[in-house]
Amino acid sequence: MAPLDKKIKKFLKNSIRIAPKISDKGELAELRTGLVSQYPQTRKDAIKQTIKQMTLGKDVSTLFPDVLKNIATNDIEQKKLVYLYVMNYAETHPELCILVVNTFVTDAQDPNPLIRCMAIRTMSMIRVDKILEYIETPLRKTLQDDNPYVRKTAVICVAKLFQVNKILCIELGVLEDLSYSLSDENPMVIANAIASLNEIYSLDETAVKLPELISRHVDKFLNALNECTEWARITILTALSEYQAKDTMDANNIITRVKAHLQHVNPAVVLATIKVIIKNMNYMDAGQQTELIQKKISSALVSLMSTPPELQYVALKNIRIILEKYPEILTKELRIFYIKFNDPLYVKLEKVEILIRLVDPSNLKQCTLLLNELKEYSMEFEPEFVSRCILGLSQLGIKYSNEKFIQKVLDILIELVESGQNSINDGCCIAMCNLLRHCPTNASMSKSICSLLNSWSSPVTLLQQDSAKCNYIWLMGEYPQYFSTLGDKINEFVENFTGESTLTQTSLLITVVKLHNTLEGSVLQNVLELATHETSEVDVRDMAMIYWRCLSIDDSSALVSQLCNLHAPVIDSTIDKFTPEVLEKLLGQLGTISSIYFTPMDDSMRKKLQHQNIIKGKHLDELQDLAKNELENKTNDDILLDFDSESVNTAANQTQNNNLLGDLDDLFDFGTSSSTTNGNSSTGSAAEGISQLSLGNNNSDKTSGTADSNTQDLLNLF
Amino acid sequence: MPPNKLESRKVITDSVYLRPWIKQMAKDCYRQNKEIARPIRNAVPKLKNVDHNNLGSNTAILRNKRHFMRITKFYKVENYVIHASIRDCKPILSRRYKDDVPLNAIDKFQKILLDTEEESSVVPPCITHNGIQYLFVQHNDIYIVALATSLATNIAEIFTFMHKMMDILSDYLKTVEEESIRDNFVIVYELLDEMMDFGIPQVTETKMLKKYITQKSFKLVRAAKKKRNAARPPSELTNSVSWRAEGIKYKKNEAFLDIIESINMLITQKGKVLRSEILGSVKVKSRLSGMPDLKLGINDRGIFTKYLDGNNIGVPMDESEISSSKGNESSITSGGSSKNKTNIELEDLKFHQCVRLSKFENEKIITFIPPDGDFELMNYRLNTMIKPLIWCDMKVKVHSKSRIEIFCNAKAQIKKKSVATNVEIIIPVPDDADSPTFRYSHGKIKYVPEQSAIVWKIHTFPGGKEYAMSAELQLPSINDGEEPKFKRPVQVKFQIPYFTTSGIQVRYLKINEPKLQYKSYPWVRYITQNGDDYTIRLS
Repeated sequence: MAPLDKKIKKFLKNSIRIAPKISDKGELAELRTGLVSQYPQTRKDAIKQTIKQMTLGKDVSTLFPDVLKNIATNDIEQKKLVYLYVMNYAETHPELCILVVNTFVTDAQDPNPLIRCMAIRTMSMIRVDKILEYIETPLRKTLQDDNPYVRKTAVICVAKLFQVNKILCIELGVLEDLSYSLSDENPMVIANAIASLNEIYSLDETAVKLPELISRHVDKFLNALNECTEWARITILTALSEYQAKDTMDANNIITRVKAHLQHVNPAVVLATIKVIIKNMNYMDAGQQTELIQKKISSALVSLMSTPPELQYVALKNIRIILEKYPEILTKELRIFYIKFNDPLYVKLEKVEILIRLVDPSNLKQCTLLLNELKEYSMEFEPEFVSRCILGLSQLGIKYSNEKFIQKVLDILIELVESGQNSINDGCCIAMCNLLRHCPTNASMSKSICSLLNSWSSPVTLLQQDSAKCNYIWLMGEYPQYFSTLGDKINEFVENFTGESTLTQTSLLITVVKLHNTLEGSVLQNVLELATHETSEVDVRDMAMIYWRCLSIDDSSALVSQLCNLHAPVIDSTIDKFTPEVLEKLLGQLGTISSIYFTPMDDSMRKKLQHQNIIKGKHLDELQDLAKNELENKTNDDILLDFDSESVNTAANQTQNNNLLGDLDDLFDFGTSSSTTNGNSSTGSAAEGISQLSLGNNNSDKTSGTADSNTQDLLNLF
Repeated sequence: MPPNKLESRKVITDSVYLRPWIKQMAKDCYRQNKEIARPIRNAVPKLKNVDHNNLGSNTAILRNKRHFMRITKFYKVENYVIHASIRDCKPILSRRYKDDVPLNAIDKFQKILLDTEEESSVVPPCITHNGIQYLFVQHNDIYIVALATSLATNIAEIFTFMHKMMDILSDYLKTVEEESIRDNFVIVYELLDEMMDFGIPQVTETKMLKKYITQKSFKLVRAAKKKRNAARPPSELTNSVSWRAEGIKYKKNEAFLDIIESINMLITQKGKVLRSEILGSVKVKSRLSGMPDLKLGINDRGIFTKYLDGNNIGVPMDESEISSSKGNESSITSGGSSKNKTNIELEDLKFHQCVRLSKFENEKIITFIPPDGDFELMNYRLNTMIKPLIWCDMKVKVHSKSRIEIFCNAKAQIKKKSVATNVEIIIPVPDDADSPTFRYSHGKIKYVPEQSAIVWKIHTFPGGKEYAMSAELQLPSINDGEEPKFKRPVQVKFQIPYFTTSGIQVRYLKINEPKLQYKSYPWVRYITQNGDDYTIRLS
């Protein structure tokens, strides 16, 4: 026992604080004085100050040696501060860290688990080979630590080390230790080990045999599931969703074991559970049991609707995917997806998507309910929402597919147009044309639509969207008899020809050719010239060329009349669908970012991603430009080569090239490299559109029909 | 969408705030001194027209947070954590968990967000830019942003985590705003390190974090117990009961149950219910010593029978009756005369992680070891059609270019012995209305121009009663010839204590602490209130 006065002295010394001296040498000098002060409290304050400056973005790396002196302390708070500082500069000034390596090694054997963790965590993050040389013993020791808290940190360190220095990590053989951790008695360690392995697997598939490890430990995982934190549950469930069940029994067993988690309060746990169940449901025969499970999934999905808006958004996107596989899953829950007036816009839009898909087309009562609901929404304020609802009205009409019902939809649309809101004209125009294309034989309907749209004095200025203009132009070509000032309207569009987008140009070209007999003056000549000389769009130019040639061949009247009498095919649905392969992939990726964009990741993309990471994100901008330029050049070369032959194939090629370019853009947005199928797959119908278009180009007879029928679908692509 | 702009909202200038007040003064004056002539409405000078083109002074713009407030962003990720302020576009604080995201990526967030907003008013909570995913959640004027590079990132997990993190920060900092984060950045860093490692969420139980997050409070602990020199991660952290520490002691052992049901309802003006749901939540405040094991019994038929395919309903029912009749010193038994009739079916039960899910799945018994303090034990949703609890019969007459008349007849359609309290009926009016006059039998009415609404507050509203009000507001005589628009629904807020719409009742709450064997006191309360969407549509 120290004498009392000594104790008092020590206490005073420990708690004394010296106000920093104002010196003219600047802030850094001030901090430095603080850091080497003989009073612990003052030193601590100085470290805090230093870190504060660091957080504010000032470079305080020159203080490194002085801060470091404070690392050898029993005061855990101070130690944490120093580690915080070191960790920060470990990224930018790795060379300085060599100075601390000894402390790291000692701290990794500290009796306090918290310090052991900090040491190992920091060490594994420093990208300096000298330091990494020392990591072997501490890492091995901590992986076998008595304390699960240390073990759970250590297993993650393996992944960190792998990322920093793959070769060393393999040499040390810690990956084997990591695999053993999957059999740990502590569920949190297991979860972190999975996460860590998953990370390594995504960096290099050859390093660990993840799928094999998972299938060997399925039982272990299922047991751990009930005893760990919510986050660990997510990790374990995600791993389980990677597992291929051996047979029906196996699948059944998994479903039974995980289904309780549909009732977890954490929405991410619920989604992960759904993913596992859906994967295993493939193995089961349809029957009472599947129905029961679907019912459970259904109510779990519904409950996700009472979460914060961001999560609702994720849930809605995922519901859209699930619905396509199991369309009957939520039919009774339509009302849940009614819009709340305080929903954020992005949630509202997604809800409309779900409502349209959910409604049962054999149930008149439900359809009518939804119709009234959508009508109500169409009178809201936000233009994006309103136009989505208007489109929704037409989708609903087409889905129910009954003339009386469609008439009702049409009445609502007409009422909306007459209410005089300019911003909804686009939407209404598209919606009405879609309805008309669904039942092209209904004369009274076409008459009422045309007479309404005919009353617009200047559609060119009134309509803003390309697809709206396309539809309007298509309508004029299809029903010229209902338009009173047809010539003027077309002339107005033609005047603007060069300023319009490809789509509008194409449809204008088609319509003018179609009507060339009835139009006065030199409109046809005019348009053909504009389309061949004034546009840079190869699609338009080639199409114009073909038409021109057709028209100028001797005794081409049969061909021309055939061209002019083509009609757009009847549309059965305007609701986007995924292709089966895309759907299957998306189902396996529920809850991930790719499920939000409907862009499934496949393995080749994963690999490419790694390459990009290696090239480092910083230069991504330049790389992107570079790649684009190169591709553009290539495309141009192609054109030059084929230019003379003037064959229809050029057009087809071109489309694909353009398409590739578009994809590339998309893909770069997602940080992944190109693979042609992916851009398309996000909208199944768009892909279809493309194939039809190129088909159309190969066979000039079909051109007018398919090209404009897909105008809208095409929009999705470009 | 092309650049369709909404008409700028017309908003009354500040001077309108004075108007009801002037009138009140005049009225008081009149009351006191009857000789003075009644003030004429026109005596109040006409308002000047507001120049809507001058956006700078447009209050709608000023009120719109997006336009000028400092948006502070904050953090996180798979890889990264940020607090940024949109105004000076610097993150408040950020944490990198992995180094696959370039250092400067977060600085671009402000620009990306503003660009997206400019392009369209649909701003989803995830934006892609240059191959980096920006996921964000807004909290007051702070954004929490998570950056990720991989499309395989579990977005549901990240959003949940970010919300959780906000809860935890609120716990620590009371109010989460730029200042409080800057003042406590060391704690925040420490929390971020403990909550997530290498992009993998770790521990998010506040009670447990507090045990070993050392800053500030740590000093006090140390002064008290000098010997135990350092904070250590509590051993329970990695146990299967990761949410409760050992050795908790209370003098009086109590557990409080709050059953709160929020009603969401959408009603047409004619009184037809379009949608209604009950969102129930069972909140527990536990002040119990040791490691108590709790068993909760409620009169939910669903819990006992829903998943049993109906062939052996009898068995579990008996069990529930036995246990409730056994009800000993530490259980609540509610009057069970009409037990079988009042059993209800709960849909979508969701449990706190402390509830043994497998036990519930197999035996339909809710058992748990509670965390210490407040938490939500479970929530449920019932999708039944119910009639409106508070129903307002609205009549609105718009006399274009002159005035608008509103009649409202509110009725409490609840049991006679129940009383609704703090009832608020919020009736929207056109933005440019002014000079309100009201007539009403009960409560208080206020015109709130900044919400463009009149608010009718009724403190107590006994069941079966009917109250009425009428209001008249002047509309500006000059407008652009369009009908005034106020297509927002009427909102109703209320609370009904001692009442649940679903009829859920707690039958018993058994508390059993195997070691300490103390006497404990369970309490239970019921309340029904409006949800965030109890609205009546005006057609």
